[in-house]
Amino acid sequence: MAYEEPITDYDEIVENCTCAFCGCNCDDLTYLIKDGHVVGVRHACRLGASKVMEDMDQRLLVPMIRNEEGDLVETDWDTALDKAAELIAGSVRPVFYGWSETSVETMKHGIRLGELVGAVLDNQATICHGPSLQAVQNAGYPVNTLGEVKNRADMIVYSGNNAMNSHPRHLGRYSAFPRGYFRKRGRFDKTIVTMDPRYTDTAKMSDIWVGFEQNGDYEFYNAMRAVLRGKKLKKDVISGIPKEDIEDLVEAMKTTQYGSLFFGLGLTHTLSKQRNIDIAINLIQDLNKFTKWNLVPMRGHFNVNGFNIFMAFEMGFPYGVDFSRGYPRYMNGETNTIDLLTREEPDVFMVIAADPGAHFPGGANRHLANIPVIQIDIHWGPSTEIADIVLPGSFIGVEAAGTSYRMDGVPIYMKKAIDKPETCRDDEWIVRELHERVQKIKGSQIASK
Amino acid sequence: MTYIEKPPVPNVVKYDEPMATKRNKLEVMLNTGSDIYQGACKKRGSTLKDEYRHASGTAYMDPRDMARLGVKNWDTALVKTDWGEVVVFTAHSRDAPHEGQIFICKGPWANVIVSPETYCCCDPTYKGVEATIEKTDKEPLLMADLMAEVYMKYDKDAEKSTNRLTEKKINVGITKPEE
Ligand code: SF4
Repeated sequence: MAYEEPITDYDEIVENCTCAFCGCNCDDLTYLIKDGHVVGVRHACRLGASKVMEDMDQRLLVPMIRNEEGDLVETDWDTALDKAAELIAGSVRPVFYGWSETSVETMKHGIRLGELVGAVLDNQATICHGPSLQAVQNAGYPVNTLGEVKNRADMIVYSGNNAMNSHPRHLGRYSAFPRGYFRKRGRFDKTIVTMDPRYTDTAKMSDIWVGFEQNGDYEFYNAMRAVLRGKKLKKDVISGIPKEDIEDLVEAMKTTQYGSLFFGLGLTHTLSKQRNIDIAINLIQDLNKFTKWNLVPMRGHFNVNGFNIFMAFEMGFPYGVDFSRGYPRYMNGETNTIDLLTREEPDVFMVIAADPGAHFPGGANRHLANIPVIQIDIHWGPSTEIADIVLPGSFIGVEAAGTSYRMDGVPIYMKKAIDKPETCRDDEWIVRELHERVQKIKGSQIASK
Repeated sequence: MTYIEKPPVPNVVKYDEPMATKRNKLEVMLNTGSDIYQGACKKRGSTLKDEYRHASGTAYMDPRDMARLGVKNWDTALVKTDWGEVVVFTAHSRDAPHEGQIFICKGPWANVIVSPETYCCCDPTYKGVEATIEKTDKEPLLMADLMAEVYMKYDKDAEKSTNRLTEKKINVGITKPEE
């Protein structure tokens, strides 16, 4: 790759900013700012830098509403907000989906709005780590913080996840490479294991790669548990892995001092779904009879964990919370966005800081074409193509401040570095404003009765 | 240089072993997931551009499978599953060998063909979907065209009923212009 000149042409440096991309929430970034734009980022990985130094071509700057011809036309804030509030107030089964790329402060107003109109509030966990959260409810949550991993862990397992691609600084900042208090030599003191059917970039740089079969995770973990409990394996090859290898691996995991397992969507998206995670958690609990082991789910968006923690704290359930009866309910497979959409239940869909166009299966998205969709986002993306009202928000961590939760549950305050474009509004302001307008409409309805 | 420029992928060599007989259609297992180029492209907000189509609308294949199918890097292929069909590029996988598997990054292209079935646990099945892949002379659509073609939200002529799971009327891809 070509050598790039360092950036020297900037007016201002802002230090200790937090990256708003993946669940690592790296909070050591330095922004180089010129004329109110970020022209360079130091310390960020390729993903973080690409997001912070955004491409302004596709930035949403003004509110838009779809006209009769099906084109998005620019409008003013009042009209767009009134139209959105009218749709929300008049709906029977609204779904408010997203929240993972915005601050906890915004979610607070989201809950009030959801409670008022009896909506379903759901976030990206429903299509990524939802099964993990269910497994946590089933089997417990032996969690540790990333700081402990850095300082203590001498064995790190990545399972069903490609950290080098999805969380590029995870290995460099928290797990494999940093020198920790008890791991003075960094990478030399740590054993990295990758368990993944694909020979991913993470597998290429680990010490051990366990390439079990596709959809073979459940069997593989159970075999490990059996060995751990002193059983003899009856088959010679389990999920494509020779039994001697499994025995060696378990022996290595048992004799380590402090181990940490990170698991990703490779476990949650295959057929056994939450049962995979159940068994992984049970494996960790079994290992704890011998030595110290913990696990952390590799969360994708920087605040997807924040929504789950916040929702669980406020309403008792982590995601897919249904307010249609006036009190929070939660039922897997019933009150989750994908199931609601494939059953064609929702009649208004609000997307905030999320992109169903790029992430939902076509079968679920097809219902979005039949109902009004309100989008609050910063970029023109796949969802904008199916949105009817577009409200441009602002970029948390760069243009707006807010709280987010890292993948291990550590809250981090993300500060503001530059001003937002004049015509945009903070997400927090937009949701609060929607709430006020919906309340006004509801109030007049009750008065006229 | 853009941030999404991919490292060069080696071109496919023909294997002259008995297994490498040419087929028109392969039965494969489809996996989806994210990769760093797709992620960078999506989050910086360049989804309308051609680079997103290359980053996200590409099936990464094992070189032996590519030889069997007779495709080179950046040729196009039609991937079909029980849930739909879509035209994507083919490219040599950096994670090869993994015969019998293809990997398409998360994005509008993969979404057309993954299973929305959650088996009552809220999470659709994005990985391990059975699929077939065949060579085609159509070209993948750009994101905006794909969304318009698949979901037909603003297409007045589109029958409402075609817009449902049960009746799959998806035909995605454009015929390549004559050279
Ligand atoms: S690892 Fe994640 S949080 Fe850290 S800089 Fe990269 S994208 Fe941002």
